[in-house]
Amino acid sequence: MPIGAGAIIGAGASIIGGLFGSSSAKRAAARAAAEKLRLTKKLNHLETHRQAVINPYEDVKSVAGFATDLSSQMSNPFANLGVATQAAEIQMEESDLALAASLDTMRATGAGAGGATALANAALRSKKGVAANIEQQEKSNEDKRAAGEQQLQEAKMAEQRRMQGIMMSEEARVQAAQAQGKQFKFSAKEAREQGEIDRTYQQLTGAAQSQAQARADQTGAMTGMFGSLASIGGSLMSSGN
Amino acid sequence: MENNLNQNIFLQQFNESDAIAYNKDFTSGVSDYNFQILDNAYRNTGRVYAKLKLAIDSNNCQDETCAYELSEIKHLQEAPQLSLDFISSLLAELSVTDDPNFDPNNDFKYTAANSIMTAKPGFSKSDGYNVYLDLLPGGSQQIVFTGPAFQEPLIINNTALNALNESNTSLVAPTPDINKDMLRLLTEVGIFSPDMVGENGQLTAGAKITQEYVIMNPDGSFDYEIIDIGNGKGRNILKYDLDKIEKKVTPFINAEVAGLLSSEQDAVAAWNVYISKGASVEEDDQMVQNANAAASSWSYTEDLPLMQDKKVLFEKKYKEYFMNNYLKQFTTNQLPTVQADAAVFDLAEAKKAKAQKFIDDNNL
Repeated sequence: MPIGAGAIIGAGASIIGGLFGSSSAKRAAARAAAEKLRLTKKLNHLETHRQAVINPYEDVKSVAGFATDLSSQMSNPFANLGVATQAAEIQMEESDLALAASLDTMRATGAGAGGATALANAALRSKKGVAANIEQQEKSNEDKRAAGEQQLQEAKMAEQRRMQGIMMSEEARVQAAQAQGKQFKFSAKEAREQGEIDRTYQQLTGAAQSQAQARADQTGAMTGMFGSLASIGGSLMSSGN
Repeated sequence: MENNLNQNIFLQQFNESDAIAYNKDFTSGVSDYNFQILDNAYRNTGRVYAKLKLAIDSNNCQDETCAYELSEIKHLQEAPQLSLDFISSLLAELSVTDDPNFDPNNDFKYTAANSIMTAKPGFSKSDGYNVYLDLLPGGSQQIVFTGPAFQEPLIINNTALNALNESNTSLVAPTPDINKDMLRLLTEVGIFSPDMVGENGQLTAGAKITQEYVIMNPDGSFDYEIIDIGNGKGRNILKYDLDKIEKKVTPFINAEVAGLLSSEQDAVAAWNVYISKGASVEEDDQMVQNANAAASSWSYTEDLPLMQDKKVLFEKKYKEYFMNNYLKQFTTNQLPTVQADAAVFDLAEAKKAKAQKFIDDNNL
């Protein structure tokens, strides 16, 4: 209490003590109220300026575009298999020629008709066998070509499937990594902002408690003055009477 | 405005100095502080109370309902408590002028009023000052200060003061404790690890900014700056990514400013005393007042409410203040954390080695 405060105000010591106690408590309450208001505004600012919730997968695109229909590249390697008709024609021609030549020889040597027929049959069988062999070889070659072509196409498609698989999985990996990166960044910032919000909230709670305490102190100081107030009121009444 | 400022600074200097103790006129004269505020205010109230009471009892009121008389009696009964509440509120407001970081741009009359209420030398009745409490019709009260420091009486009404207090506004703007705020802010901006914060909520003595903000070479080693410490010797110091630091701290500073601007008058006080010219709290209070409370200061009567451009300027300068007066010490002359790199070395040899490394690296 400042020197002379009693004289300045013109009241008893208990009133003066109460007045200064009350004024200190009021100042403390005002400070706590201001602090509470400041922290409330700060908290509001932190909450309204925190980052927007993100969807870390928003940039993920479909990798279906990398899948291509490879069926157009497929063909039936057996579709163009050659039919060995020419071999049959040659066989027939060659049989005819051989038969004619044998008949000429038989005529010149005076062979009978039965021999000629047997010869002709033998020649025919021979030619048929040759023709069948050629056709078999040609078909075998054709089969090998078809099988080779099939293997080649299968190998090509397998390679394309492999490349396609790599591209799809790599793109998916990059997109997943980007999404994880965004998620990490968001989480780190969110944790930081939330930390500050939590801290400010704690401080705000503390300020509210300080304010309540200061008000209680103020009430206590005022209560202490009530006895003295009664004396003022009493003197007022008595002087009136 | 400047006159008010000078008056306030003079009053503060006068109150803080011991000069008056050496003034023979003062020491030999009477200092009467017997203002008797309550005694004077209630001197005639007994008579008034009795008249009103008698009027009611004798059925001699102004009208048949005795409404006026009953109302005035009620006011008189409530008056003592109201007076004490008023005086304590006023003392709380005026005590701001005693704060060491008080903004002298506040009305100097409050400084003078506080000097009277706290019986400071030179503000007694003998020095020509007086203060009295008036109980006004209708139940309100007012305190009036008069004396040489007041060209006109300073009148404060209790209802006005209550209204201000209820809306969290002050008669005299207190200056925020910027030092405390900034020290706390340092721990909140996210560039120090939590283990650097002590139990008192402030950074510990050896606190360092986390390595995330130290500039490194591509090979992961520290990119030191070499400083000359004299006598041909040098030593390494850490280099910091100041842009990264600024980006990191800015949102937290903005939030702090938003909180500070919840009371614009407090923000004006902070601006006038510290922020406008970047005066450090380490500077002498008087120097701060002399330096800041001048042309660049904002007026409580003319600049409130604060316009948007002033708020933006406040935010900008607040950040500068934080960066220059508080954060800078953590980004300058910081010794390496690697023990071997922290040793003092011969500057000439270091320069030679550096040149050789450059030649080697570039195949020159």
